[in-house]
Amino acid sequence: MKRFLTFMLRRTLRGLFTIWAIVTITFFVFEAIPNEPASYIYPLAQHLNDYQIKHAHHLLGTDKPLLTQYGDYLWHLLQGDFGKQWEGALLIQNTSLQQQPIAPQLEQWLPVTLSIVLGGAVLVVLLSVPLGAIAGRRIGSMSDRTISLIALVGICTHPMVIGLILRGIFGDHLHWAPSGTYCPITGPGGPSSSIPLGPGQSVPGSAGGCGGVVDWASHLALPWVTFALLYLALYTRMVRSSVAETLPEDYVRTARAKGAGELRVMTRHVLPNASLRVLTMVGMEIGTAIGVCAYIETSYGMDGLGRNALFTMIGQFGLDLPKILAVVTVITLIVVVGNLVVDALYAVVDPRVRFATQETRTKSLAGGVI
Amino acid sequence: MGGAAEAATATIRQPSTTPTKSQWRLTLLRFRRDRWSVAAACILAVILLISFFGGAIASAALGHNGTDLYPYAANINRKPVGPLTWVPDTHVAYGYGEDGDLAPAPKNAPRTLFIFGADGILGHDEFLRVLDGGKASLEIGLGAVIVALLIGLPFGAIAGFFGGVTDWLVSQFTETIMAFPLIFFLVFASVKLDQYLTPIGWGQVFPRGVFAEALLIGVFTSFYPTRLVRAALIPLRHAEFVDAARMVGASGWRILRKHLLPYLVPTLIIWGAIATATNILLEVGLSFVGAGVQPETPTWGSLLSTTWGTIYQPQSYNPQNVTVWQTVFPTAFILITVVSLNQLAEGIRRATDPGGGR
Repeated sequence: MKRFLTFMLRRTLRGLFTIWAIVTITFFVFEAIPNEPASYIYPLAQHLNDYQIKHAHHLLGTDKPLLTQYGDYLWHLLQGDFGKQWEGALLIQNTSLQQQPIAPQLEQWLPVTLSIVLGGAVLVVLLSVPLGAIAGRRIGSMSDRTISLIALVGICTHPMVIGLILRGIFGDHLHWAPSGTYCPITGPGGPSSSIPLGPGQSVPGSAGGCGGVVDWASHLALPWVTFALLYLALYTRMVRSSVAETLPEDYVRTARAKGAGELRVMTRHVLPNASLRVLTMVGMEIGTAIGVCAYIETSYGMDGLGRNALFTMIGQFGLDLPKILAVVTVITLIVVVGNLVVDALYAVVDPRVRFATQETRTKSLAGGVI
Repeated sequence: MGGAAEAATATIRQPSTTPTKSQWRLTLLRFRRDRWSVAAACILAVILLISFFGGAIASAALGHNGTDLYPYAANINRKPVGPLTWVPDTHVAYGYGEDGDLAPAPKNAPRTLFIFGADGILGHDEFLRVLDGGKASLEIGLGAVIVALLIGLPFGAIAGFFGGVTDWLVSQFTETIMAFPLIFFLVFASVKLDQYLTPIGWGQVFPRGVFAEALLIGVFTSFYPTRLVRAALIPLRHAEFVDAARMVGASGWRILRKHLLPYLVPTLIIWGAIATATNILLEVGLSFVGAGVQPETPTWGSLLSTTWGTIYQPQSYNPQNVTVWQTVFPTAFILITVVSLNQLAEGIRRATDPGGGR
């Protein structure tokens, strides 16, 4: 137990370091890019005069030395304050600014993305473990080839295309599942966060009344399937190769010799080995999953973190630095926390990890997908 | 007496019956025995050939090319024609009706064949667009791999082989940066840098914007080969053959070049095959953000985004003005390419494994 706690403490510190490093790199890299925040304050001005630029910098606090700004940002971040965005800042009587705080927006976006990622991940595991086990039992057989091919079709069709197709067929045409809005799991709340899906395609309205576990799950069913189709290929392959490698092991033969049934051999002796790899992979893919969510949220018209992170990165007037930093920080935080959970699970499943002193896991080759 | 003679001849004859084969030859033999991988390699060769040369040949044969506009290739609802349609061979309308619609083409008007149908309201030939798009997509996929290797190989080799502070810096940097989803950096970089990078085309070698995208994807995925090379070299730092080379006075660089690089080749080829596939998919993703190659240059991704829109304006499928073929053909080409690359990587992995096992 003590070893486990030390291990987790070390991983937590490492995670904190990662967050700090990413925030720092982002801060200074984006500061180095030429950018004029004054255009956010005077969006209508054709040309900004010196006074306007100076005044805007003064109001936004960007006239302070860089290191002071950096220190301020970190200090506020430690207190959980993400600051206020530049975009949409209103000048009030030329002396003060009315700015939108970023944290409430993040609070609104975060549940959407987390719901898609977590539910989708569960679905991926539920599908890929049995499929991978079937394929891995006889590598090169017809069932193996079929499963691998179907899984690859999923990865070769972009999630946005899959999402729009599924939404069109099962949501808009067959009405099997509601399409296009997110319902909070906590119960009926404010208006659901939906966005219009292009001109002339209104989202079926659900005016504020939806919420609760059933609504939440039914609204997310299609996004989960979309998510799962993309990741099925990677995880099925992983389970498949792990099963294929484990089957010839002595301890599997021993289990068979003792008269264990085929199902018991698979579930008790072969698949636990595969679960380690699946876990490793899950930890590595959390980041890319948020990127994938940008497309899934778009195709189902949900207003989530992934989509808004993309919009923030693209920028409208320029670089909205506080917003970019907030988005980057939150995404890194999700990745770090997710990895801590994976580490904890890993240490529970595989006792060897607790004794390992050096980081032995490496990133997957496929980590860059989509 | 006779037994001894037999044994003697056996020892003499043995070398001649099993001539020594080089490692590469053994690998090739093992690879050739794997018919699925050989098939994948052949399919890939065909895809490469038709993507790079097929477009020009097909335009010559069909008499039109991928940038020509055919008003009669889309109907009043802007729905493009389906596969194997003979489209009136004209770039201008034969006239307009009272309601402003196209007048029907005369019966005896010269026609030209659209094998895959048209690609959208502009009435390009989808077949030629898919071939040209294949050229751009494959150039992005392969080009990005080359860029990533050019960055990753030296950094990974220095970090893995020499160790020390460089190793610490490289490994900490890559691990930290990889905690963040690269797609966001990639999108940001291509939005901000495209105006400087897009014009670089190196003559006619790369279509407009392709080099820029290959460069950016390559830079942002170079962390993978860096870590891969580093991880492969660390256990070899003090391998016996390395120590032996060092003992006869070889310098570190020479050991890296002559003794360790060949060892890395299979790993990097396998990574390259997989990364080419993922880069092609990444290109599709960038097209949907509108951050990739601009639409006038066809890529497999931009062909898909003519049907499905971008993240600003996703389009749900509407049979009134799009055909399924606009999705089916690019997707089929992506699928065949990615599946073949996957199988090829698997085949190379098995063939280069000295055990020859799975």
